[in-house]
Amino acid sequence: MIETGIPKLDDYLLGGIPEGKSLVYYIYPGVEGNVFGMQTMYHTVSNGRYGVYVASSTDPRMIREQFDEFGWNTDECGDRFIIVDAFSGLIGADSRERYVVSDPEDVNDLTQCIKQAMEDLDGPGVVVFESLSTIMDLCGESETLDAIEEWNQYAMLYDHAMVYNFTAWPYSEDTLLHIKEDICNSAISVGGISERVIFGQYFGILKADWMDVPRKCVLFKIVRPGGIRVYIPKILVTGPFNAGKSTFVHALSNRAVSVDRLGTTIALDHGHIDYRGFTADIFGTPGQERFDPIVKLLSGEAMGVFLVLDSTNAADFVRGKRMLEITMSFGLPIVIIANKQDLQGALTPEEIRKKLSMPTNVPIMPAIATNRDGVFEAFETLVDMVMEVD
Amino acid sequence: MTYNFGISRLDELIGDIGGGTNIMVIGPPMSGKDDIINIVAYHGLIDNNAAVIVSTREPGTNVLEWFGHHDTNIPMDHIGIVDCVTRTLGFGAPDTENIKMASSPVDLTGIGVKISQFFEHFWMDLQLRKTRLCINSLSTILMYSNLPTVFRFLHVFTGRIKAANALGVYVIEDGMHDDKTIVTLKQLFDGMIEIREGEAGYQIRAVGLTPKPTPWFDYEIDGVNIILRG
Repeated sequence: MIETGIPKLDDYLLGGIPEGKSLVYYIYPGVEGNVFGMQTMYHTVSNGRYGVYVASSTDPRMIREQFDEFGWNTDECGDRFIIVDAFSGLIGADSRERYVVSDPEDVNDLTQCIKQAMEDLDGPGVVVFESLSTIMDLCGESETLDAIEEWNQYAMLYDHAMVYNFTAWPYSEDTLLHIKEDICNSAISVGGISERVIFGQYFGILKADWMDVPRKCVLFKIVRPGGIRVYIPKILVTGPFNAGKSTFVHALSNRAVSVDRLGTTIALDHGHIDYRGFTADIFGTPGQERFDPIVKLLSGEAMGVFLVLDSTNAADFVRGKRMLEITMSFGLPIVIIANKQDLQGALTPEEIRKKLSMPTNVPIMPAIATNRDGVFEAFETLVDMVMEVD
Repeated sequence: MTYNFGISRLDELIGDIGGGTNIMVIGPPMSGKDDIINIVAYHGLIDNNAAVIVSTREPGTNVLEWFGHHDTNIPMDHIGIVDCVTRTLGFGAPDTENIKMASSPVDLTGIGVKISQFFEHFWMDLQLRKTRLCINSLSTILMYSNLPTVFRFLHVFTGRIKAANALGVYVIEDGMHDDKTIVTLKQLFDGMIEIREGEAGYQIRAVGLTPKPTPWFDYEIDGVNIILRG
């Protein structure tokens, strides 16, 4: 398997792309989808395999700078990072690359170069196309479609995986259908959520012929440095007064702010976390009953919920459960944080479960938010639950 | 939601331009099209619009300087420039708040992404509901990409202009393209600003925005104003 390096996508693809198979990132215009191919390329070469990057709309020097912007140092990959320069010939510029397509508008010239690069690799690797749509624009739709079949077959001989970034400009319906459904072993849709403007981005698997396709759609953000991060726009943190919600939000977040008075949250806590391929915005509610109307407002559109409880204060557990009702959290993925485990008299998670009569499918996890113990484990658990929702 | 060009007598004749309108500006070289398109963007900025300018001929810093030079009071954070020039000159300039770098005029995918990012920023972060997209110029893009490719690109982005109730203004050099190219591209636009060479200098008129084309006017560019005569 050749991993894509895209968080969650490799899980959904059962490990990545099987050697000799092909994958197309089918990108809607205006969505920054080319990073998918870049991340797959860098992930492959940084894991000791070979990668060939076919540059068709950018100068190879700029391509290396683009990788640098994400913190991906291509120099460290040495000769495992190979560029087929199908750009310089277009503007009549000199090239320092080993593989240069002298006439990028001639698909046969391009094919020859790509085949040579594939042959020269010392072992199975990945061939990533910066922009298949640019090649199609230069060489023609039908010519390029024929060439893709030839490249894919050639890759099978050498066990290379083929990865195409394809921007779905309004080509003929036949071409778009062919790209999406026929020509590659797998297709990943990279789209935008738009109303007046595109304000969010997602990916999902359209096709993978080695498995049953999971019906999942994953929101993502692109961060520099870092690359593609699975994005959860709203995780709610709620619980009774003085349970440690604000401390939990701050412990979990890379950056956070609280609207409080004398240390008591009176409006909200807001934090942002970027952790192991995931990024999320976290909203903490006040705990006192007089703020319940705000709690209702804050809780809309949450994708997952942390209920933070003070493990030493069983008297407040009923209030905690009531807050799940106020926030209408039942049905959403919930993780209960058994906080303050370092204090004397703290109940264990199982003791808390009994007192709350909580079913076993709701995880109750021990934590000490003041020193960040258990908070990231809880985050990973909640993220897994959110990602399992169809 | 309506717009105007900021060219007083033309605006009076045309009336308000509806949101979602796409307009081609076509004229001969050296007729001041760069200034005209910047002035259209400028008059939007002083009316609290956002301006997204795709520059294929001038580095983004030069375009930004034009605005700073003519009026230091305009809201600079409402300007977004997609710079298709700087990186082709071999400078590894990073993106800034105002300028996003496209790798080259060939990279229509990248240009499209940067336009969308500015639209999102102005709409979502700054809550600006009126945006002007100025592409200067389609002629450069046509030098690197063939007509069907550019048509597909424009088909998508003129649609986005309609969806966002924005105003799209696209510059094209007269005399640089064959009739087929111009006729093909015209299908995508709702109107034109035409420029021609007259006896005493250049003349301007609007076509397709009123039942009949406006008369031709001699014009003179004075800073951020276009003064019409005749």
